[in-house]
This record gives sequence, C-alpha cells and structure tokens, in this order.
Amino acid sequence: MNWTTRIRIVYQATFLVIFVWLLARLAAGDPRALPYSAFLHGDPLSAIGVTLAAGTLPGALIWALVLIALTLVLGRVFCGWICPLGTLQQLSSWLFSPRSRRESLQVNRYRRWYALKTYILAAVLVAALAGTLQSGLFDPLSLTARALASGLWPVLPGGRPVPGGWLAALLFLTILVASRWIPRVFCRGLCPLGALLGVFSRFAIFRIHRVSDACNSCKLCAFACQGADEPLGNHRVSECHVCLNCLPGCPENAMSYRALPPLPSPPPKPDLSRRYLFGTVLGAFAVAPLLRATGGGRDAARPRLIRPPGALGEPEFLQRCVKCSLCQQACPTGALQPAIAQAGVEGFWSPVLVPRRGWCEFACVRCGEVCPTQAISRLTAVRKTGYDGRPPVSIGTAFIDRGRCLPWAMSTPCIVCEEMCPTDPKAIWFEVADEPVREGTARRVQRPRVDAAKCVGCGICENKCPVGEEAAIRVASVGETRDPLNRLLAGENPS
Amino acid sequence: MTDPYRPSITRREAALRLSAAAVAAAAVGGGALVFHNRRSVVAAAAPIPDWRVPLPASAPKAAAARGSDPGTNVRRAVAALGGMESFVHQGEVVLIKPNIGWDRLPEQAANTDPQVVAELVRLCLAAGAKKVIVTDISCNDPRRCFARSGIAAAAAAAGAEVLEAQRLRMVPAALPGLSAGLEVVEEIVRADRVINVPVVKHHSLSKATLGMKNWFGVMGRGRNRLHQDINRALAELGATFRPTLTVVDATRVLVANGPVGGSLADVRAVGAVAAGTDPVLCDAWGAAQLGLAPGSLPFVEDAERRGLGRADLALVKELGTS
Repeated sequence: MNWTTRIRIVYQATFLVIFVWLLARLAAGDPRALPYSAFLHGDPLSAIGVTLAAGTLPGALIWALVLIALTLVLGRVFCGWICPLGTLQQLSSWLFSPRSRRESLQVNRYRRWYALKTYILAAVLVAALAGTLQSGLFDPLSLTARALASGLWPVLPGGRPVPGGWLAALLFLTILVASRWIPRVFCRGLCPLGALLGVFSRFAIFRIHRVSDACNSCKLCAFACQGADEPLGNHRVSECHVCLNCLPGCPENAMSYRALPPLPSPPPKPDLSRRYLFGTVLGAFAVAPLLRATGGGRDAARPRLIRPPGALGEPEFLQRCVKCSLCQQACPTGALQPAIAQAGVEGFWSPVLVPRRGWCEFACVRCGEVCPTQAISRLTAVRKTGYDGRPPVSIGTAFIDRGRCLPWAMSTPCIVCEEMCPTDPKAIWFEVADEPVREGTARRVQRPRVDAAKCVGCGICENKCPVGEEAAIRVASVGETRDPLNRLLAGENPS
Repeated sequence: MTDPYRPSITRREAALRLSAAAVAAAAVGGGALVFHNRRSVVAAAAPIPDWRVPLPASAPKAAAARGSDPGTNVRRAVAALGGMESFVHQGEVVLIKPNIGWDRLPEQAANTDPQVVAELVRLCLAAGAKKVIVTDISCNDPRRCFARSGIAAAAAAAGAEVLEAQRLRMVPAALPGLSAGLEVVEEIVRADRVINVPVVKHHSLSKATLGMKNWFGVMGRGRNRLHQDINRALAELGATFRPTLTVVDATRVLVANGPVGGSLADVRAVGAVAAGTDPVLCDAWGAAQLGLAPGSLPFVEDAERRGLGRADLALVKELGTS
C-alpha cells in the first residue's frame, strides 16, 4: 500500500473514532466539557442553512469558515479524509466489493445523476431561505449521528429504546449496503454538503494534475477513484474527494497533487440543467408553506410537543434545529426522543420530551450545552432552576387525571408525584379528604393537586407514577417558558 | 417380485427404521427431560439473608454522637457499640446502603452526607473487609446523584467499590407481604454484611424517611406501588431486611419538602450521627431529630409490635458533643 493511502486511512480512522467516541462520552454522561458538537460546528451546510433560515449565524458555527477555507486551499479533503459517513461507505465498498478491474472502472465512471446532490443542495438552501430548515435530513454528519444515537445506541447493552430509531438505522444501512454496487453512492449522488464543498473546491489551490504527455490512457488512475471525478479525462475538480488514489495508481507517474494556477475561467460548472434548477428552486420555495400546511407546532401549540428546556419558540426552533440528535444522546434520563409525528412533517426528527421514557432532570442543562445551532439555548443550572430568584424555566405543566389517580379515583393512598417533585416549594400539594370505600368507613387520603404557577413540566411525576402504561399525572406543553402565547394562568410571568 | 402398485418393506428394513425412530424419540425425549423444569416457569426468588451479628443481650443497642465533624461522630458512635471489628470480620464483603436518591448537593440534605459514608468505608476496610460496596438505586439520574451528592468521590477515595444503578444486576426477590413483582439488587443478596445509612428527612406520607424507608433504594421498578399502604410496607421491609448495623445520618436534617428538598431554608444543621443494631430504635432516634415522637409514627409502632426492636429512646447511649 502506498504511503499517501496509508496516511489518508490513518486520518479517516482517527476522525471516525473521534466522532463515535464523542457520541459515546456524551451518552456516558462524561462531566468533562468535551467538544461534543465540534463536527457540527465545522459544518458549512448547517452554518449556511441556519443563517438563511434564521437570519443569524449562531456562535460556534463560525468554525464552518475553517472548513470552507480548507476546501479553498486543498479541495474536498473533508469528504475524502474526515467525513465519517464517507469513511464508512468507503469501508463498506472495499469490504463487500471484490471486483475485476473492468468492473471497477465501470463503477467509478461519472454518471449524470450525480448532479442530483447539487439540486438537493439548491432545494434545502432555498427552502431555508423560505423559512424551513431541512438541511439536517441530508447532512452526512447529522445523518450519521442520528443513525448512531437512535439506531446503534439503543441496541448496545444498557441502551434505551428509541421508537422510530429503526428509520434512521435503515437509511444508514441502506447507504452502506448500496456502496457495494456504487462506491460512496451517497457522496457522489446525494450529499448536499459535498455539493456545497464542490462549489468551493473548484477554486482550490491544490488540485490533481495530469501530465498529458506522460499519460498513456491506461485508465488505472480511475481504478480506485472515490469521487468518480474522472482524473483521466477532463478532471471534474468539484467532484474530487482528494483521496489521492490516482497518484499511486499511475504506472507512468503522470499524476500529481500540487498547487496549480486557477482553472481557466469560467471554471467548469456542475452538470446542471437550467430547467431542472429553475424547477428545483421554484419547488423549494413551495416546501415551506406546504410543510406548514401540514400543521406542526407552529400554528397552534400541541399538548405533547414538549421541547427541551431552553428551546426557542417553535418557529425559531425549527429554523435552527439540524436534527443531529446530540441533545437526545446527551439527555441523562432518555427523555428526549426524535419526533416522528408530534411536530408535524416540518419538525420530523426534532427532539421532544417523552415523560414516560424519562424526565427533565431539574438541574441538568446538557441538551443546551451540546446543541450546535443554539436551537436549545444554553442555560446555567441556576437560571433553569430559578435559584437566581427569577421564575424557573418551564417546559410545560402537569395535569392530574382524576379518573386514574389512586387517591382521587381508588381511595388509595399514594404520594409519589409529590415526593418526586423537585421545585421549591413543590408544585404538587395535597388536599386531605375522606374518600368513600366500598365496604367499611371512609379512608383518609391525600389528593394531589398541581400548583400550575410552580410547575416546570419536568415530567418526573408522570415518569414515576405507579399507575402502569398511561400515568395518572401527565405533562402538557402549556405554560412553557418559550411560548408567550401558550399560557394557562393570567398574570403568570414567563421568565 | 415386488409389486410396484403395492409397495412392501423387508423385515430388516422395518427393524432398522423402527430402531432409528426409537433412537430419535429417545434423544428428543431425553433432551426434553433435561430442559424440563418441574418447579415453575418463574425464576426462583432469592431469599433475603439475615446480616445481623449475634451479640450478647447486654450490648448497647444504639449510640449517638454529636459534633461538627461527621466522620468523628461516626467513629465515636460505632466505637461505643464495640467497634467495627465486632460487626465486620476478616475477608467479608460489606454493602453500604446510603441514600443517594437525588440530584442534590450535600448542603441540600436530600442524600446521606458523603463524609459519613466515607468514614464507614474506612472503618470496614480497617476491620478487615475484603470489599466494601456502596450502592443505591437513585430516583433521579443515577450518574448525577452519585456525582453531585459527593458520595461517589468520597467513597471511592476511601477505598469502596461504588456501583451506580447502570452497573447493578437485579434479581427477583422473595418479599413476603409486599407488592408482587419486586426485584432487589443482586449484590445485596450476595453481601456478607450490610450497613444501612439513611439520612433523616421529612416525608409527606410516612412523616419521616429513615432506615426502614431507605430499603426502597435496593428495590427496582414497582417500588412506587408500596406507598399505597406505606406504614405496613415499611414494617414489612424492616422485617425482611435485617442489617448488621444502621447508621442514621442527622448531620443535616431536611424538615420540609422532603424527600427531595432543594431549599436551604428547609435544612437544619443538627450535627449528629447514631449507630445501632436495633433498626427500630435507630428510626425512633432519627424521628426525634425531626422533633417527632416515635409513637407518632405508625410504621415504628408496627415494627415494634412485630418484635423487630424497641422504640425506647432511653436505650440510646448519648455520647454528647465532641
């Protein structure tokens, strides 16, 4: 194996290990402030998407400029050397696809449909401009994190089930398996981040160069070409992953990777049809109103659309959430789950709190700490709990189901919801009452009541309620701090 | 000649095939017998061992020490009972069960004081214990509870093996008189000695959460159903779990909004620790730190009626302030 290949594999393996390791540390609740969102902070697709949708570039996403600068110098090294999804596809195609040289040349030829990724890029960016951010669905970093958090982690020992996780896992496995027939099929044909980096890599200083006099057109350079960028003919710079497989492949030493003068202007454009592009842009403008017409949480608050603490108001939240699952992975109780239907089509895979799976730990602010786009704003534990004297951050309000509650309906003593309630003073208090029993005299019980002004909607009452399947106390989103319209009590002051 | 329309079989063939069938039947039947469980399809429930050490009738039942240093209080109280060597012997595995139920800081008094736990770990190891396990099944996220209570760090530094809930194995347990389908921590069933280390707190149903209530923390899911008849459940727990020692932490006492608390206004600095071999007496002493007469707690009365101990505070050796 050639040394350039060896170095590249070391880089790819290192970045893949770091990516998975950070997710593992996040799930293990590592108290250290590791750079959990580093990969997503450096993601130009998320940065540009959020900027177009929200009209602002949240803090650490400025790191995306580093990757853009790197691409302007070295080309799409992110794709060939860093991206975990690219590495895994390459691994899959190498493992499962022992093929002849003739076949290899065949599968590594450029296909016209590879331009699809550029249409996808145009569509998500235009849709973002029109107000709905869907780039995260196609972003390779979000996609990989999602598949690992919802598909792999639940399967590991001690893992917690994630309903719908199989969707993310299935998509991910399909991509990997498809690489057996077309290497890096996602990168070549679908990845909007790759398409975006391709826009910049056309201006890269370092590029692949072929000395045409030394070349005898043996086509061995294309044998292991990852980007299907045809180094032999008119090299498609914007498709090139800079895997450098063509260099050692050439028996005549005709290939090199070096600083080159700018491409003749105008630089070669991606294979886009003007009509299709026009149609894509037009269609993408329709995406936002169409998604909204399906009725998510934007137009009217939904009771079970309980967002993480510190989440922005629903429209602002959806303009920033890239569906990367980091908050879900960070949640210590497993309360945060991907929304399948709760947030409408637009909010597909955005995080919702499901109290029967977990509760929002009172002094925990991890989800906001790891959110790469500040769709969940950073809170301090003191701010969230209200120990600073202001009202605590609320994500909803608990409601007692008097038909299921043991003291209310069964004349049976139970105080678990009150016992668990973390606020100061407790939001659940008791009304002492003598409840009738079928035989004998009345029984004295403490009937729980919710003080809505004190309840923060953390959901530990619902989670710990001893009434099986559906709890006798349930949280709804009303009263959440983030939405000044989703209120319950007059005179209640959101913090 | 064989008639193709009336197939027949030779004696030899018939014998061979019959014996093959017999062997196959014997193999299947034998296999079924091997795997057949005559008793029950439910895994046998583990009996809860008795961890008490036989003591002379004249031995003090409990001792209480006061002072600003929780570690010193523990040492003095245990010494007054004859020292940890009377309870923990060479090579034994000791399980210490503090209250690590809540994601709260030590100052908020929702969990056992970390210094009390650490001192007990040191005493057990000095007495020759092979291993000291510190564990609890928290109500809040266990990682946060173990970290923020300060107990994980303090106990580990003292030499204990700290087991968070994620690392615990649960086994079905024989808990007569309690709700069905309960499980207990496997480590407690295997331990040679068990020390129960509750913290004194207010509780809205049982009025006080003390030693007998602390056994909730060795049980898994389903334990929240025990609140429906809490006083009887607590006495049952007292009858089921017979610890070597009970060490009641009244370093700080949560007098309201228990058992979670949160506000420092609900915390009283009492600065006392009691150790005892009589769990009923220990709970009675703990109740007194909250200003409750033992007679006002139905579960203490019930436990006394069952002969699990005496609730007579005069039996507690008060060691005074150090």
